[in-house]
Amino acid sequence: MKTGIFICHCGHNIKHTVDVKELSEYFKEIPNVYVATDYAFVCSEPGQEIIKESIEKFELDRVIIASCTPSLHGELFKDLLKKSGLNPFLLRRVSIREHCSWTGDDLKKNTEKAKKLILAGLFSVVHNLPFEEKVVEVDKSALVIGGGISGLSAACFLSKMGIRVYLIEKEKELGGHVKRLNNVWPYEKTGKEIVESLVSELVKADNVQIYTGARLELLEGYFGNYNVKITADGEREMNFKVGGVIVATGFEPFDPYLKPELGYGRDRRIVTTLEIEEKLNEVVLPEKPRVAILHCVGSRDETLGKSYCSRICCINALKVARMIKEGYENAYIECFYMDVRAHPKGGEEFYEETQVKGVFFTRGNVAEVVPLSRCVLIRGEDTLLGEVFEKEFDLVVLSIGMSSQSENKRLSQLLKVSLDKDGFFMEAHIKLRPFDTAVKGIFIAGCCSGPKDVEESINHGKASALKLFGMLNKGYAYVEPFVADVTEKRCSGCRMCESVCVANAIKYDARKRVVKVEEAQCMGCGLCNATCPSSAVTLLGYSDMILMDEISGLLARL
Amino acid sequence: MEKGFEIKDDVNIVGFTCSYCAFKASEMAGSLRLKYPEGVKVIQVPCSSRVDPAFVIKAIFEGADGVFVAGCHPGDCHFIKGNYFTRRRIYALKEMFEAFSMKGRLKLFWISAAEARKFVEKVTEMYNHLKEGKK
Repeated sequence: MKTGIFICHCGHNIKHTVDVKELSEYFKEIPNVYVATDYAFVCSEPGQEIIKESIEKFELDRVIIASCTPSLHGELFKDLLKKSGLNPFLLRRVSIREHCSWTGDDLKKNTEKAKKLILAGLFSVVHNLPFEEKVVEVDKSALVIGGGISGLSAACFLSKMGIRVYLIEKEKELGGHVKRLNNVWPYEKTGKEIVESLVSELVKADNVQIYTGARLELLEGYFGNYNVKITADGEREMNFKVGGVIVATGFEPFDPYLKPELGYGRDRRIVTTLEIEEKLNEVVLPEKPRVAILHCVGSRDETLGKSYCSRICCINALKVARMIKEGYENAYIECFYMDVRAHPKGGEEFYEETQVKGVFFTRGNVAEVVPLSRCVLIRGEDTLLGEVFEKEFDLVVLSIGMSSQSENKRLSQLLKVSLDKDGFFMEAHIKLRPFDTAVKGIFIAGCCSGPKDVEESINHGKASALKLFGMLNKGYAYVEPFVADVTEKRCSGCRMCESVCVANAIKYDARKRVVKVEEAQCMGCGLCNATCPSSAVTLLGYSDMILMDEISGLLARL
Repeated sequence: MEKGFEIKDDVNIVGFTCSYCAFKASEMAGSLRLKYPEGVKVIQVPCSSRVDPAFVIKAIFEGADGVFVAGCHPGDCHFIKGNYFTRRRIYALKEMFEAFSMKGRLKLFWISAAEARKFVEKVTEMYNHLKEGKK
C-alpha cells in the first residue's frame, strides 16, 4: 500500500493554529507513507498539480487530503483523482480546519489533534475499496409543489426547456397570494395580470399537468427516480414518476387573531393590508379620513416567537398609504413603525416620496387598539419622544407579516428536508446554495424558505428551476455506491436486519436461507450493519473495519 | 505517587455524529469559530443508527474517557426512524455502563444541523464533567 498525505495550509486558516510542517515531517516517517507534504492551497491549480504528480511519480494507491471539511470541494478532489488515473473512492478527506484549527487556539494541542485525525484517516483508508460509481437514468420530469408565483415561474421555465412538469396546488385555483394583490409594486400591474400570463403559458404547453385541490401523499426514491403519490380534487389518487422536485409552498399571512390587543375581528374598521388592497372600494370612509397603519404585525416579535423580519410588509404599508392618499387627498395617514425597511430596489425612494406626499411616520409601539363608536382609539408609546400617546382614527390597517405554511411540517417529513426554527424550509447553504436543500434533486423556491417579495420569488423560482434543469438535462446521475452488502457465508438467516430495514431493501431468500440487499432501494443508513449479530451485513464505505480503525487512530497514544 | 508515573489530565472523547445533523453542526461550529476542547474528536457516520455498541466499547478499550452518539432529533431522521433504534440501543448500553460504574461516560445527544452552539455546549459540558471526575 502506497499512501500519499497532502496537508493544506488554507492560507492562514489552518497554518495559523496547526503546525503543518511538523505534521508533514511526522507522517513522512510512517511506513507506507510515500509522500507527506504541505502546501498553501491544496485546492488551487498548483496544489492539485502537486497531488497529480505525486500520484503518478510514486504510483500511490491511497490518498489523504487533510484540509477543509469533506462536504466542501468533494467533486473537485474526486475529479482530480480520476484525472490522475486513480479510483476516487481511494481518497480520504480529513477535516483539520472545521474540526481542528478553527475550534481551538492552542498551537501545540491543535497539532496533536490534527495528528490523530490524520492518523485515523491513515488507518481507515487502508480499507477503502475502489468502488464504481453507479450510473442511473434520470427521468426528465419534475414535480412542482405549489402554484403560487414562484411555483408558476419554475413550472413555466421547466416546461419551456422541455421538462415534463406536474404542478400540484392545494387550493382550487392557481395564483396563490399574488393573485389577490391589487398593485404589485413596482410594476404597477395587478397580481391577477402577472399570474394569468404565467398560467396561460402553462395551460397552452403540452408537457404540463396541473392538479388543483391536490395534496402530496408520498414521495419515495432518489434523484432521477422519485415515485410520487398525490390525491387531487379531494379523492382521485394519482401515481407518477418524476426526476426532481421543486418545493414552492409559499407562506401563510400572519394570523392577526394571535395579537388580540390589536382588536382584529372585533370591528370592521380594523383590517389587514391584504384585505384593504383587495377591497379598498368597499370600505366606507369619511371625506377626511384618519388612517393608522401599524407596521411589523407578526414580525420581529419575540413574544410570538417570530423574531425575523418579513421584508415585504414595510413596502406593503407604504403602498396602502399611497393608495388611500390617492383616493382621499385630504386623508390624515400615520404609520407606526419600528424601523422602515424599504429594502427592494427603489424602496427608499418610494419611502421618501411617501413622506413628501404627507404621510406621517411615528416610531412607536402600539399597545392597544380600542374600537369605539365614533372612532378607533390607539394607545401606545412614542419611542423617539418617550411619551405615551392616545390617538383617534377612522381606520386601522395592520401590516401583517409572513408565517410559514402549517403544511410544511408534514411535507418536510415526506421529503426528508429539514425546516428551520421558524418552520421555513432550510437551504443547503444560506449563501452558496440558497436554492438547494440537503437532499439531492429537491429544490426550494419562493417564500417557503423565508419571506421574499414578488420579484425575489419569481427569481428564486426560476433559479431553482434552472438548477434542477441542469441536473435533469444530463439524463443520468451518479449514485453513491455506499449501500449494504451481505456476505452470504456469514449470514445465519435470522432476518433481524430485514425486520429493522426502513427502506424495505432487505429481502429474504427462503431457498438459500440468507438475506440479500436490493441496492436500488437501500438508503445506506447502516442500521442493518449495526443490527446483524454475525457481522454478515456490511455498509460499504462505512464498514466495521473502517470505523474500528478510525477509532484506534483517534485514540492513538503518540 | 511513584516516580515517573504521571497522570495525564487530558480527556479524550470520541463522538459518533450523523452526517445529516450533528456532523453538519460540528462543521458549522468550526465555521463559526466556536471553541471546544481539543480532546473532543468526531467520527462521521451516515446515521446514528450505524453506531454498533461494539464501536462504543472499542473506544473505551482504546482509552477514551467518554463516548457520545449524536443524531437528529426524534422524528427528524433522514432515514425516517433510524434514531429511534439508536435511542433504544444506547439506553440499553447506558444501563450496562452504569452497572460497571461508568455512568456519564456514554451520552446520547440530539443535535440538528442548525444547532452548532448546542453541539459545542454539550461536548464542552461532557468534557468538563469527565475532567472533574478524573481529578
